[in-house]
Amino acid sequence: MNEFLMYLTNGIVIGVINAISAIGVSLIVGIMRVVNFAHGELYIFAGYFSYHLSASLGVPPLLAMPLSIFFIFLIGIGMERTLIRPTYGDEMYSLIITFVLSIVLQNAALLIFGPYPNKPPNLVSGATNIFGLYHYGNQRLLSFFISIGILLFIFYLIKRTWFGKSIRAVSQDREMSSLVGVDHLRVNMLSFGLGAALAGAAGVIVAPIFPVTPTGSSAISLNAFVVVVLGGMGSLKGCVIGGLALGIIENLGAAYLSTMYRNIFGFVILILVLVFRPWGLFGQKAQ
Amino acid sequence: MGALIEGKGLTKSFGGLTALKGVDFHLDEGEIIGLIGPNGAGKTTLFNLVSGVFHPDSGKLYFNSKNITILKPFEICRLGIARTFQIVRPFLKMSCFENTLVGIIGRNDKNGGKEERKDEVRTLLKFVGLGNREQTLAKDLTLIEKKRLEMARALATKPKVLLLDEVLAGLNPSEILQALELIEVIRTQLKMTVFWIEHVMGAIMKASDRIIVLDQGEKIKEGKAEEIVSDLKVIEAYLGESDA
Amino acid sequence: MGNKQQAGTAKKVGIPALFIILAILPPFFLSQYWLHVMIISLFYVMMASSWNLIAGFTGQVSFAHAAFSGIGAYASGMVAVNLGVPPWLGILIGTGVAALLGLGLGYLCIRMGGIYLSLTTLGFSEILRIIITNEDKWTRGTMGLQVPGFFSEYSKANYYYLFLVVTIFLLIVIYWIVHSEMGLTFRAVLNDELAASSSGINTIRVRILAFTISSAMAGLAGGLYGHYLMLITPDIPSLGQMFLVLAMAVIGGMGSFIGPIVGSFVLETLSEYIRIYGEYHVLLFGLVALAMARFAPEGLMGIVGKKWRKEWVH
Repeated sequence: MNEFLMYLTNGIVIGVINAISAIGVSLIVGIMRVVNFAHGELYIFAGYFSYHLSASLGVPPLLAMPLSIFFIFLIGIGMERTLIRPTYGDEMYSLIITFVLSIVLQNAALLIFGPYPNKPPNLVSGATNIFGLYHYGNQRLLSFFISIGILLFIFYLIKRTWFGKSIRAVSQDREMSSLVGVDHLRVNMLSFGLGAALAGAAGVIVAPIFPVTPTGSSAISLNAFVVVVLGGMGSLKGCVIGGLALGIIENLGAAYLSTMYRNIFGFVILILVLVFRPWGLFGQKAQ
Repeated sequence: MGALIEGKGLTKSFGGLTALKGVDFHLDEGEIIGLIGPNGAGKTTLFNLVSGVFHPDSGKLYFNSKNITILKPFEICRLGIARTFQIVRPFLKMSCFENTLVGIIGRNDKNGGKEERKDEVRTLLKFVGLGNREQTLAKDLTLIEKKRLEMARALATKPKVLLLDEVLAGLNPSEILQALELIEVIRTQLKMTVFWIEHVMGAIMKASDRIIVLDQGEKIKEGKAEEIVSDLKVIEAYLGESDA
Repeated sequence: MGNKQQAGTAKKVGIPALFIILAILPPFFLSQYWLHVMIISLFYVMMASSWNLIAGFTGQVSFAHAAFSGIGAYASGMVAVNLGVPPWLGILIGTGVAALLGLGLGYLCIRMGGIYLSLTTLGFSEILRIIITNEDKWTRGTMGLQVPGFFSEYSKANYYYLFLVVTIFLLIVIYWIVHSEMGLTFRAVLNDELAASSSGINTIRVRILAFTISSAMAGLAGGLYGHYLMLITPDIPSLGQMFLVLAMAVIGGMGSFIGPIVGSFVLETLSEYIRIYGEYHVLLFGLVALAMARFAPEGLMGIVGKKWRKEWVH
């Protein structure tokens, strides 16, 4: 029984990180109708950045994390300005370009960081006894709380601030929003940067728990895509519920059914969603 | 015998904006019906509902007493309702010939061979005055020619009802006269029912058997041209627009 | 008029005929090594041209094209190894399996729009890789599945001609589709989906049809490829392979008939020269493809000259 609770806790911890990563994809899809296939690579890059900053350059881990996220944010802005912006309105080219970019970044990561997994130092050590039932690693607990903090921050940003209102206006109606004075080029750029930063955030949080490797990136992208489709494209709430659901299912599935097929559970969910509820749990049923 | 097309209580909103509020209307066979109203009155939304581009939030649509409320655009087209677009949408990278051929291919009764279809395309292009433009790409046409091409493509689907969205906009007076003749021919020779949106008031008043007026998503008036012109509500709707 | 048309027909038949005659020659003067490169190039011509059929002509980006070639290869290879089915029949079975899976996948996600197709096909590729790697009892995993070849006596020249014939067959089918009324509906959907739908075209059906045909062609190409290499590995359905096919179409020129053919030969030949630099060639092709997609979306064919291309394509 305790074992079950442990797997469940793992699922929840991974679930909130899934949610952060998926919101990064969902934001960009919702606002620009662009799927960033290089999402997983940005996540991996963030993990490596935080590793090299702290392990090679001696930056304190707690500072290395936000610094890495900020770098990824800048990379995201750069991507939007140079490659994505010219494709607006042409869905096919944006899909092709981000896919090619994912391959380029993956190979660049192999060259720069090498093929071996790297793991930034833990922030904390030891384990805590949860309600007297089982022991759980402090690093994972901390990751969980950082993730919750980031999620709250995103919700605040999108529901309460001017930037969030612009984002919602653009995602609902591009023409209307420009009528009321929203500069959607800037909104696009910032939200692409934010989407990238969220991939980075998930990356730096996960890296101390599961070391990153350049070849792991497509699984990470897929994970985020499954959550987005499951939750419903463009729905924040959907990302959180979908992320948790996928985290729990994957962890319980891997524990009780098959470890080798961990990644298949996501794909099975994707297919089931497409068959039974193609617009997702919280998505708008399209016209 | 009931109406050819009948709409009951059609309501449609986008986000917070209600584009249509409980609109009832009908078209009888062989009529030319005008749809007018100030900008944002919901005219194009009504066309989009009838042609299946959007589905109403509530209300029902019937064609020949068959419920077509939730059919897809291609299904509605195959039943016999064709349309043109306010902002023209020909297939830009295809020739006039190919544009028109698509309308024939989409049809249910594709009987006849390839040669017959080619002849049909040529006849249609001549009919709308693009006989010498067969191989021109649609993107190289003038706006007026694009409108004609859309008309040819719509006619190629052999519709019973033709929805025309501002086909006269941007035409000069003599071109308007030509277009009106074309519409009359479509009714008398091709036996089609025409439902059209127009801002050129003189033309639509003259050529329509009956006129429906929309304002802010509601039907405020329906009747013959002379009844419409003298109606206070209609005048207010338009004056209100010029104030804004 | 009649003369002009005759001249046009002569050109349309004459020049391809000339190319075909030229294509017969390589085995007489190329080394075994370069003959191999030609065979691989022909495989990529089949892959890139059939991918172009959906991406270039209906605007849908599938990331499962390499996966479908893998399905063709493994299906044919497994029936050959386990049931002793001859490769000739096996590749047809492989093609059929690829078509069926393409139909199912297309049916599920195409109605939801282009983004869903891309996401789902990417997932499908990844899952296929995992299954093939893990089910090594059937597939021999990363070790690779050894399969029989087409000919009892191994000869590169025979394989070259076999690939040539099938490639020409596929290209004729693609050319015919693009110029048929079916192809016209493909292009209508690509030009303007709403206008096509409002003109009576069942756009979803058109897209599913294009996806199924294209996937079947990938299955056929993959089956041939597997029995040529005589060793089927998870590299065939990998995303790396998918990327190469996509880069060939994008660099050659999507939406044109010739573009992917040119792109395949150029990239495959080029990669033989730069292979010594290891994995750099993927990075290089990626950067070139990015630059092309960004600055010259019509690819090499777009750059080479519009007039020349027009005469060929239309």
